[in-house]
Amino acid sequence: MKFLSVIEFLGHFHPLLVHLPIGILFVALLLQWMSRKNKYASLSAAVPLILLVGCCAAFASCITGYLLSISDEYDKSIVSWHMWMGISVTLVSLMLYAKEKNPLFAIDKRILSLGLLVLVMITGHLGGSLTHGSDYLTKPLRQLFDKDSVTNTAIKPIANVQEAVAYTDVISPILQTKCYSCHNVNKQKGGLRMDEIGLLMKGGKEGKVITPGNADESELIKRLLLPTDNEHHMPPKEKPQPTESQIALLHWWINNNADAQKKVKDLAQTDKIKPILTVLQTSVAMQKVRTDIPIATIGKADEKIIDQLKARNIMVLPVAQNTNYLMANFVTDSIINIDDLQLLVQLKPQLIWLKLHNTNITDEALTSIARLTNLTKLDLSNTFITDKGLPQLSSDSNLQYLNLVGTKITGAGITQLKGLNKLQTLYLYKTGVTAKDRLTVKEAFPKTVIDTGGYIVPLLIWDTTVIKEPVKKY
Amino acid sequence: MTQKQLHHQRLVKEAEKAVMQMNTRRHFLKESAMGLGALALGSLFGSCGNKAAHKSSVLFDPAHPLMPKLPPFAAKAKSVIYLHMAGAPSQLELFDYKPELMKMDGQDCPQSLLEGKKFAFIRGVPKMLGPQAKFAQHGDSRAWVSENMPHLSTIVDELSFLKAVTTDQFNHAPAQLMVHTGSARLGRPSLGSWATYGLGTENQNLPGFVVLTSGGKNPDAGKSVWGSGFLPSVYQGVQCRSEGDPVLFIKDPEGMDRDLRKASIDAINQVNAEEYKTYNDPEILSRISQYEMAYKMQISAPEVMNINNEPAYIHEMYGTQPGEGCFANNVLLARKLVEKGVRFVQLFDWGWDSHGTDASLAIDLGFINKCRSVDKCITALILDLKQRGLLEETLIVWGGEFGRTPMMENREGKQNPYKGRDHHTEAFTMWMAGAGIKKGFTYGETDEIGYSAISGKVEPFDIQATILNQLGFDHEKFTYDFQGRPFRLTDTRGKVITDILS
Repeated sequence: MKFLSVIEFLGHFHPLLVHLPIGILFVALLLQWMSRKNKYASLSAAVPLILLVGCCAAFASCITGYLLSISDEYDKSIVSWHMWMGISVTLVSLMLYAKEKNPLFAIDKRILSLGLLVLVMITGHLGGSLTHGSDYLTKPLRQLFDKDSVTNTAIKPIANVQEAVAYTDVISPILQTKCYSCHNVNKQKGGLRMDEIGLLMKGGKEGKVITPGNADESELIKRLLLPTDNEHHMPPKEKPQPTESQIALLHWWINNNADAQKKVKDLAQTDKIKPILTVLQTSVAMQKVRTDIPIATIGKADEKIIDQLKARNIMVLPVAQNTNYLMANFVTDSIINIDDLQLLVQLKPQLIWLKLHNTNITDEALTSIARLTNLTKLDLSNTFITDKGLPQLSSDSNLQYLNLVGTKITGAGITQLKGLNKLQTLYLYKTGVTAKDRLTVKEAFPKTVIDTGGYIVPLLIWDTTVIKEPVKKY
Repeated sequence: MTQKQLHHQRLVKEAEKAVMQMNTRRHFLKESAMGLGALALGSLFGSCGNKAAHKSSVLFDPAHPLMPKLPPFAAKAKSVIYLHMAGAPSQLELFDYKPELMKMDGQDCPQSLLEGKKFAFIRGVPKMLGPQAKFAQHGDSRAWVSENMPHLSTIVDELSFLKAVTTDQFNHAPAQLMVHTGSARLGRPSLGSWATYGLGTENQNLPGFVVLTSGGKNPDAGKSVWGSGFLPSVYQGVQCRSEGDPVLFIKDPEGMDRDLRKASIDAINQVNAEEYKTYNDPEILSRISQYEMAYKMQISAPEVMNINNEPAYIHEMYGTQPGEGCFANNVLLARKLVEKGVRFVQLFDWGWDSHGTDASLAIDLGFINKCRSVDKCITALILDLKQRGLLEETLIVWGGEFGRTPMMENREGKQNPYKGRDHHTEAFTMWMAGAGIKKGFTYGETDEIGYSAISGKVEPFDIQATILNQLGFDHEKFTYDFQGRPFRLTDTRGKVITDILS
């Protein structure tokens, strides 16, 4: 065991040493080529020495490379090609050195030089393919030509996560970004390949990594959860780490028997995993565009009307940049006349949020407001509206937020709004809705969160006593 | 002439020649070849860069600096109330329940926790200090809250706790700057300044960014924590007094009536307008708008800032102490301001620096009194906003500038007279509520003694990014050009804590 670890230790010098022969031999070839000109002829004296040094470095690389190849798992055929090419580099550089020292040596110098150049390049490329994957070099180019092949860079959002296949759409993209680079067709660290489900289930040198149905017992999860500085932690701490949600997804998938075929909806979903799955459905950018804005696009509102309203101290603004939907509020001015509302009605297609709180509006105004059918948020708190005007709103079907705090609305009045089936929140604090009415109101709006307020923060003895240092007794 | 003199003469001549050569046409052309080339290259590069990408994302209109502006995304939060417990409250006596720490109470702190660490006051080997409060789980979310917050524990299902906040500053002033301006050094705009710069304010009769302090002391970092940094100065926080006139000299002087005041302000603005015509300095336009706003504020501010016209049951709910500059009064004011469309209300409450150096700073004495002074009113604030339908669009943030150590402080290696904890940067608790934040949620975890974060670690930058996100901004694109580069609140860091967003 001790001997093996010494081998492995020496092998790990290979990635460091390989760069020496590449650089040194290139310099030798460059000087050799330059020295053909009379001006640089003096350089030729340096060529044999550099070649010798390069040859020695190549030899050292070969030895460490061999040690690395027996202590780590790589694609066998590439490794053997890389090895023989590396050995050839050493030999050819030695021959070239002999030729430089003794011009009588039988082979043509140009052929040797050219051969060495080609060999160094091939060996170097193969080595690169082993560490970074065979498509490493050309990947950026392929993305340039083929727009669909962005699979490796980012996890694509899924259109409908419940309909997606759990393994192919959710799990394998995680493995792809975080695991494949060391466990793939070319390189199998620990004898483990993860890029195909069959091989993933088979496990590695030390046995299975996935115990279907028991995530906590699965080596994969255990390794992911180890502290990053633990030597068994995966991925190694210098590599990109999976996020907590990604680990949770893997955990969930394995607990569901690590099934390769089933769709997400067919697997048991805990409360913890549901939000994580939903997030997959939308990319981060999509998430920021709130659902508060209707999805349908809409034309621009009439600037003139907006300017007229602004001149009357009424704030009318798009709800966000790049959208034509508008919000309006009267926060600066609490006196509204009917003309203002008439103007607002002309913004009907765009207006989605309207705040009229603490203004002087009465039932009369509700006639105009009711015509604003695209409204999703309406704040009528602390106004003079009553049950009489309220029913006009019911034709209004898009309301999600309705604030009636501090109005004279009663329980009977509010139930007339039953038709508002999209309503999510309804605020009824300080209204005529009594405790007795609450049940009927709740029945009228079964899906709505109704807040009748009146919260009390009771006074505790604690709140008014000041705790003092106990008097010390001597 | 001696040999030496001749030599000197030759040296002088050579030097003169060298100087003259500097002034020749030949020298000029030779030297300027590179210089002119570089200039030309510079201008070439200038024109090929994508200008649009470098433009500040928000336009600054000096004539109407506080006009409401559009966020890039439809915002969840219209307003923010930031409750800063200056001095840093102990997470271990409030929200971070650590029974394991109790078992270590009184033992020497293990070397592994001290190696390579620096503390503000702890020297040598301190003793561990177990939690000095009883904990229980509350609400449907089963969140742990200590007996020090009996009211808040009834509303944990409205809050999202961040249990593993970290910072890299262990002194009050830099840490407060870090939390509020995104940099431990002076000169950056504060959160509220960024918010008002980006969004303006809805109510043109009130400032967009109001600051209220309590606890008898301003925060250590001074007014810079609500300063505007390199943003135009109109965006700095307006510190209002919580007793008496909210702003000094807000009332018209004796004998001056409203019309006369209006006339004088009009006259001043006319002079300024003419000045602007001559010099075209945008700061003059800002000044004009400030005068107009001040005039309007004279009427609206005293009304909004007066809590006396609130009904008695609201006073009872908040536990206010009329006539005093206390935190509860400020919290009630914050609600009134938000109701009136103020964008950002920043509250500072000093007195949470529980070192144990005297009784008022003891974790089992003064700290409890501090808790009592904020518990009821914060609970009332959240419930009151909720019943008014405002919690949906008001973001509440609670926290200190760092946390406190699981060790008992031993200042200069000697036992402090009272139980106390030192400044701790590696883990502390903050919470957020309202405006699109998950209800009854806990994010992040600390180790079994609450020393360091083990999962869900967040930095002040992440919290700032989240606040901006709720206000409708992408914190990476919300920039201001200064000193030749675009600056942003989170500088090069910050990730929106998407886990706590509903």
